[in-house]
Amino acid sequence: MAQVIANDEVELGARVSGGPAEVIRKGMSEWLFLVPALVFFIGYQVWPIIRVLWLSFTNFQLLSDKPSQWVGVDNYAQALHDPLMWASLWRAALFTMMFLPGTIILPLLLAILVDRVANQRLATVYRVILLIPAVIPSTLVFVLWKWMYNYQSGPINHLLVDTFGLFTLQNAPQWLGGTALTLPAIAIMEVWWGLGYHTIFFIAGLAAIPKDMPDAARIDGANEWQVFWHVTRPQLAPIMMILVVLRFGSAMAVIDEYLIFGGFNRASPTYTWTIFMYDQAFKTGLWRQGYAASIGMIGAIAMMFVMAALLWIFRPKG
Amino acid sequence: MSGRNEQEYLLQEAARRELAQGRIDRRDFLTRSLLTGLGLTGVGAVAKSGITPAFAADRPLTPTFYQWIQDLHPGIPAVNAKFPGINYQIAPVEGFGIERFVAEAKNKESTWDVYVGQTPFVEMSAFIKAGVIEPWDNYIPKEVIDDIIPSIRAECSVDGKLYSWPFFLDVIGTSWHSGITGKAGLPDAAPATWDEFLASSKKIVDSKAAPWGATFDAHGWRSLVPVTHSMSTKAYTPEGLFDFTSEPAIEALKLMKQIIANSNPDILLEGSSDAGVNSTTDEEAFKSQRVGLYFKYFNAPLRMAASWDDPKLLHLGPLPKFTNGEGSTVFWTTGCALFKYGQNKEKAAEYIKALTYDPQIWKDSIVGTPGVHPGQLPPYKSIYAGWDSSKPDWMPPFVGLVRSQLDRAKAIDNNIFGLQQFVIGKPIWETYLKGEEPDPKVAMTKVMEAVQAEIKKG
Repeated sequence: MAQVIANDEVELGARVSGGPAEVIRKGMSEWLFLVPALVFFIGYQVWPIIRVLWLSFTNFQLLSDKPSQWVGVDNYAQALHDPLMWASLWRAALFTMMFLPGTIILPLLLAILVDRVANQRLATVYRVILLIPAVIPSTLVFVLWKWMYNYQSGPINHLLVDTFGLFTLQNAPQWLGGTALTLPAIAIMEVWWGLGYHTIFFIAGLAAIPKDMPDAARIDGANEWQVFWHVTRPQLAPIMMILVVLRFGSAMAVIDEYLIFGGFNRASPTYTWTIFMYDQAFKTGLWRQGYAASIGMIGAIAMMFVMAALLWIFRPKG
Repeated sequence: MSGRNEQEYLLQEAARRELAQGRIDRRDFLTRSLLTGLGLTGVGAVAKSGITPAFAADRPLTPTFYQWIQDLHPGIPAVNAKFPGINYQIAPVEGFGIERFVAEAKNKESTWDVYVGQTPFVEMSAFIKAGVIEPWDNYIPKEVIDDIIPSIRAECSVDGKLYSWPFFLDVIGTSWHSGITGKAGLPDAAPATWDEFLASSKKIVDSKAAPWGATFDAHGWRSLVPVTHSMSTKAYTPEGLFDFTSEPAIEALKLMKQIIANSNPDILLEGSSDAGVNSTTDEEAFKSQRVGLYFKYFNAPLRMAASWDDPKLLHLGPLPKFTNGEGSTVFWTTGCALFKYGQNKEKAAEYIKALTYDPQIWKDSIVGTPGVHPGQLPPYKSIYAGWDSSKPDWMPPFVGLVRSQLDRAKAIDNNIFGLQQFVIGKPIWETYLKGEEPDPKVAMTKVMEAVQAEIKKG
């Protein structure tokens, strides 16, 4: 340790020996390598956000030939007073609450089971099977599940009606099209789609836990549940935090699935704030993009608050 | 969840197909991939850099088609073969989405020259407002304009100028599964009145000939409007909006509720493609041979019956009417829009004329080809006159029936809210259909109020 510190001190001395100008010169060359990435980041990530923020303070309508005008916070006031804004945000939150546990509980359970498989070849086979949905292109996933959920000819209703006789043709579940089952149906599809991907996260996390910790707990008399709760779970907390925060963001921002499975019916559970925003920006009237931008900003700010709360809840403790 | 949307995937796949077929080179493919991947932001950025205009300067004729048109009309490639070098493409317009066209027009450019897939009451007003399209009048031959059926020409015109070159005609009529109606002991004929329609529907269910008696597409322009027109076509406001509170519209809504009593339970749900407007529940029910009577534009039952064991069991007829009603229905055309900032406009007119007059396309559409049977009809008087004077042996009866209905049919008025008024109103009038609101007039008044509230926002 002392030698490492000494080496660092020598290196630091060598760095500053040329004076501040030398330090700046050497730093500039390192920054130059970052320029392409910065240009792309600013141009395609930061600039669109700034532009949308600016749009949200105007009455810009894409189809209109009138120049747009600054309206201050009028769009925000209108959105916040619009019952559809709150209804659509709540629907997205509802979907997220249905979806998020599926990114933690089931993948974690599967990861623990796969981790306990002694035969490594068999464990690899299980991992490959779990990852199959993750490599299917999105449009094929949508086609597959549209067929699965088809009221007339889908295999799920065929099993429920024709095979098990649990329902009749009159009262069989209506999975898609804007019923109360539509959000859970989409959540199930998403959980299935991401199962392998999330499980791999936990498998990696389990592999990083030193084996002597759970062994020591068992020696001390802890049962399997206690080992999991007091040893394994805290070690996996950083991974859970990453998954929950990332998946919260992507779940709240879902739009493709709602466009495909729900459309623009405002009473549908799939008419979330993203669809509301898209509807206002590209479908309704003269395409009120200023108003749509304010909807987007309100949704984004709400998400940021929740993400901050999630980061605090799942923060590494001790 | 993928961040890549379906539109970008379709565009990318279309480009890949063209590269594989040798219709574009690798440079074109990479450029299109860049445009597709970057989305609208990229279109603006790339356009300003001058890449797109540079490519547009000497490009071949570039028409773009709504995907379903290519799927339903296999005769299009033969017409394309007469235009060597044509740069045929599929349009990024899932769910009637036209934002790509509008975004390009705002940059005063267009990747394409002509769009085949425009329905006047759906997007034509928005195209005109945004300066995306221009009239065909300077390019379409006079004999073609004069040949268009007058009601269709009126549908496709704004201020006397033709903004949509009509291609496919759809009319809402009745169809039935004659196996089911026969089993129920019903005559093999279209119900003449709505009372007969309701009685037949009930009989189908009571006799257990099928689980459900009748079905329809719950989107307003496919059900509420034609039923309203069957009573009266005087159901529009001076501004060109549908008058939901008119007596014909309210009677239509009441009738729809009566039909629903013997319909598939999911009849009011959204479809499963094209943002809910296609692959609808009525189509699924009719395709599965679980319903006897159906009213929709004819290409729907024709497509669904294609998968039956015996498609000949499908019979077609006119829409019923209310007793003492006008007996009209609704029609619309799918037509071609000329991009204001496109190129090759004279060539585009030549191409569209060849396409719309092609006899093989019409024969295939009317008779069907293996796998598809759209049943869409031409918009020109001369074509019908030719068939009248020398009837082809392949001509089925429904063509004459549709042609005669067209003289009584009315198109939905063009308005920037032409389609949206029905999208906004559907969940509200459905409160009556579901029994949540007992009074249809109250429900329809709320629809009008909601539509007016949206119009006020601009």
